[in-house]
Amino acid sequence: MSETPSSIGRVTRCSIRGFAGATQLPETAFPSFGDFCRAEMRPSQTAGKADAADYAVGLIYDLSVQDDELARQLAAADEPTAEQLLDSQLRRSIPVEISALTVGHRVGGAWLAGLPPQPPLTLSRIYLLDGDEVRAFTRDLRFLRHILAADAVSQEDLLEASLQRAALAQPAPARDEFVLRAGRECARRLGHDLPRLEAILERLHEL
Amino acid sequence: MSLDLPRVLPQIQQMGETAARRFRELAQRVPQARAALGAAAGLAPDEWARRLERAGKDWRGARPSHEPLDSARPAPPHPDRLDVIGADGSQVYPDRHAAALYFLVNIGSLHLIHGSGQPPSAASVPRLRFEEGDLFDDFHGLIGAEAVQAERDIAEMAELARLASAVAAPPSLALLDNGLLLWIALEEREIGRTRVEAYLKRYWSSMKELKSHAVALAGFVDRPRSADVLSLLHLAELPWEEIDRDRLRQTPYLGLADRALFADRLAPGQRSALFVDGSPVNKRFDAEGFQVFFFYLRTGADDSIARVDVPAWVAEEPDLIDIVHAGILEQCRITGIPYVLVRAHELAVVGQGDRERLDDLLGIELVRNGIAPRGSRKAESKRWTSQRKRHSL
Repeated sequence: MSETPSSIGRVTRCSIRGFAGATQLPETAFPSFGDFCRAEMRPSQTAGKADAADYAVGLIYDLSVQDDELARQLAAADEPTAEQLLDSQLRRSIPVEISALTVGHRVGGAWLAGLPPQPPLTLSRIYLLDGDEVRAFTRDLRFLRHILAADAVSQEDLLEASLQRAALAQPAPARDEFVLRAGRECARRLGHDLPRLEAILERLHEL
Repeated sequence: MSLDLPRVLPQIQQMGETAARRFRELAQRVPQARAALGAAAGLAPDEWARRLERAGKDWRGARPSHEPLDSARPAPPHPDRLDVIGADGSQVYPDRHAAALYFLVNIGSLHLIHGSGQPPSAASVPRLRFEEGDLFDDFHGLIGAEAVQAERDIAEMAELARLASAVAAPPSLALLDNGLLLWIALEEREIGRTRVEAYLKRYWSSMKELKSHAVALAGFVDRPRSADVLSLLHLAELPWEEIDRDRLRQTPYLGLADRALFADRLAPGQRSALFVDGSPVNKRFDAEGFQVFFFYLRTGADDSIARVDVPAWVAEEPDLIDIVHAGILEQCRITGIPYVLVRAHELAVVGQGDRERLDDLLGIELVRNGIAPRGSRKAESKRWTSQRKRHSL
């Protein structure tokens, strides 16, 4: 795990199936749709290394920017100056809500594709997974089932974005093999829905 | 909630009625003040000098400047390119009930280059002060709110000087969200002369730096409550032989603020004449070459009136005064008060939540250094009762 991961927010709402966090970031520092993230859970009482925290692992499926009075003033003005607009877009910290679909967890140092036993802790920090963590978590592609079963999420878009992130985290020679494995996992899960499978495989082909 | 709202409600209603009546009464005095301004504008400089001399050393009202008293100057053109810098500060006061003694000053600043098309530079710089020399005054007492505010004001001016020294090419406008005088200068008796001298020296050092770069420095006061110009009008109206301390106190404009007069006189974008601040602190500033002048400015289409303080090097240079006038108007165009100050405040503000996190971190550090963090019994008991809940069966 990265030694100094930077937090992208804190958990404000959570359930077993997902969590939402709030943060204040300049627009340049936003996380992206499809990014893998983690938020700390209550420590496991059954097993695991004492020094490894337990995390719920999520996929970011929505980012919403909340407005405030100053943003509304600028938006309503006839002509904010270029410098004021750039200040708001690049410098000013603005309230952001991050929504993540839970697709797995880490307990006792092991990455697992099942839903976690508990939701993350309220106000625990949310971190993006670094490359090593993404590789470790996506070794088991059964996490894809959570995306394919998710409501209120654009499943195909989230699948494509998350697999793209995961593929980029692989060493270059292993990327094609990873995408092939992902395609097989999708085929196994969507054998009953050939039109949808075909649409997804087309997207994977473009990765 | 401890406040018994039903019991305070009749008092609120009474207060509302009194405030409305007072507002109507004061509004009736504005035409008199407007007429007095017109008449006072006709006084010759010699006559002003005689009257001010007779008012004596205790005179606290404004003094006329080189500009006609009743002038209303339209907005000058804004430069195509202008460096605009704003700084604002926030503070955490020392708390003798806390686990450790400290105070914090946090300075937010924004440097925006109008006309550049570049994003501004933003900064937020916290300074934690915990050494004995920072916390105790010349009489070994714990410093009070005034001293912390002075540290904040000094840090704000230093931040303006730091940013102004990096400006590639003039002109530049530097704004503070306050007047320019350092009021701690009035506290010599309470905190000691040596300490006050040290504060002033640091503050003036930054002003000197700004002056050396010919920066158009200004202090912006929103919704000013001062009545210095009205006091001057009262002085002008009094018969010569009646000018004394008691009559000067019996002003017909009691309760009225200068801004009511200038809201009536100035059109949107116009500024008043320059006046000299009459406070005794300004005499010390004058001795250093930083005498403070001020004018009133109607900042927008509504009747918002701001007071703008400028130092002598700005007041005496028409180009710099024009930069202050045009620059502040442009900065106020969308946000009502200068945009750089809105953002500097946002970058500076330390809320109650920040204070609690700061105390938590301090507690961790104390434990790490072998000391159990412990607030006073009073602090403990306040914590017990501050989250009172009603229990029901």
